[in-house]
Amino acid sequence: MSVTALHQVSPAPQGARLSIDKIGKVFTGPSGGSVKAIDGVTLNVEPGEFLAIVGPSGCGKSTLLQVIAGLMSPSSGAVRLGAQDVTGEPAHMVYLFQQYGKSLLPWMSVAENVMFSFRHRIVMTRSAARARCDEYLAMVGLLDFADHYPWQLSGGMQQRVAIARALAAEPKVLLMDEPFSSVDALTRLDLHALILDLWTAKRFTAVLVTHDVDEAIFLADRVAVLTHRPASISEVIDTNLPRPRLSIETRESPNFLALRHRLLAHLLARPGGAAHDAR
Amino acid sequence: MTQLVADNETQGLSGPKRSVSIGVRVRNSRASGVLLVVLILCAWELSARTGFVQSTNWPPFSTVMATLVVDVTDGELLPLILSTLWRLARGYGIGFAIGIPLGFAIALLRPVRLVVRPTIELLRPIPIPAIIPPLIFLLGLGDSLKLSSIAFATLFPVVLNTIAGVMAVEPIYDQVAKTFGVSRWTALRRVVFPAALPFVLAGLRTALGLAVVVTVVAEMIVGQDGVGYYLVSMQFAMRAADMYAAIVLLTLIAYLLNRAFILAEGRIIRWTRLREASGDAS
Repeated sequence: MSVTALHQVSPAPQGARLSIDKIGKVFTGPSGGSVKAIDGVTLNVEPGEFLAIVGPSGCGKSTLLQVIAGLMSPSSGAVRLGAQDVTGEPAHMVYLFQQYGKSLLPWMSVAENVMFSFRHRIVMTRSAARARCDEYLAMVGLLDFADHYPWQLSGGMQQRVAIARALAAEPKVLLMDEPFSSVDALTRLDLHALILDLWTAKRFTAVLVTHDVDEAIFLADRVAVLTHRPASISEVIDTNLPRPRLSIETRESPNFLALRHRLLAHLLARPGGAAHDAR
Repeated sequence: MTQLVADNETQGLSGPKRSVSIGVRVRNSRASGVLLVVLILCAWELSARTGFVQSTNWPPFSTVMATLVVDVTDGELLPLILSTLWRLARGYGIGFAIGIPLGFAIALLRPVRLVVRPTIELLRPIPIPAIIPPLIFLLGLGDSLKLSSIAFATLFPVVLNTIAGVMAVEPIYDQVAKTFGVSRWTALRRVVFPAALPFVLAGLRTALGLAVVVTVVAEMIVGQDGVGYYLVSMQFAMRAADMYAAIVLLTLIAYLLNRAFILAEGRIIRWTRLREASGDAS
């Protein structure tokens, strides 16, 4: 699944700045008690930037991302894309789910799943839709599987279908919720390279939520570190690693290892942090 | 597609040994099942022929079948069968045309749920044939009475299964529809409906069985035509062989309808069957 050809075309970053402005989220339990999940998170993501958000399991990362995506409304603060407030219908933003197996619709073929992401918003002929679908399936190396059902594919292939589907919507912002956490280690490295190739080719803004420090550093321009629940930003680090990033070499570079050391030390130093991260 | 399923590890690795043992088992179970049916029919035949059961109202099975062939071929039964099927189709059609949208409305709209649900829970346990006598007062003896009863019988399994199906739709599907900015109507049509469809079809299948029963019962109670009416008439006329022929006929009709439904169901939601066969658990 070589997508190196994509490197040659690298259009200018599209879209507008994503501003996350003092987002707070409080959940009210059934018994009336309330839990504060997010506490005043402010972040700006530039057009075409790749931002990673890391934090321990259960710190509210996914909640934060769902709020950014407009899938959940914040208790306080606002999310803006350019000058536009993001509320409810998340225009130009697409959410890539962690559970690829469940997020693909099992009664639709791979191609139908991919076309589902744009066919209902854009008036186009069947053949134009199919061409666009095939373009994205080809990018993830699954053109030959267009007429299969998603559950006939392996986990890694299913996640690639989910990626193709998300990008076929041609979003300005791709929001990724631990999308690589439930595939095996080698497939994960494969998908990292793939997502970077696609990001380079399409220049969307990428926000990745993960608990995997290596993944965050390898992919992102900046890494935002979240505190324990309620989540707030404790630090934002520029990775400053050269691109294109290379699966093996980048991960062995002194700068990478130094960043890794720093982030892990930071995450593990917190009270109770080790116990959560050791999972 | 079938090929791919067969290539799946769980089946592909099993080799010839396992497929033989499955084959033998299937053949055995089929054979033993058919054998029991044949034995029962033989017992029927013998009990009548040997005089073990002495009654003019207990004709041998072979006589019943001969009568059935004569009754069908001389054209006496055919219009009755058609009128029964036509009645069933209309009553069933009305039932599910109301039941499916009602089920969706109850599952998706909280106000509808709050208003309608208690009524449904109260009406549900009523044995359907019990509503026929009061309905005679309201609707008279015509076809509208029968159609209402059949529709009523169809309604409940369809509504309840549709509700269960919509409630069981994975919440993540909603989010998928939402993240791609799909309209509510499109999400309903392209996501909620297909996701709930296996439940809806299970309800329709249950309803079909009930609808057949109620059609025949309605025809028996207030008939001018139909196989149920014929059945009762033959009993009054002491024509036992014709009566049993009608019963055999009804059995055949019900059986064939159910088989046809299962066949159609298998085609409509082919993906569920293939997915199970592929070993995908989620």
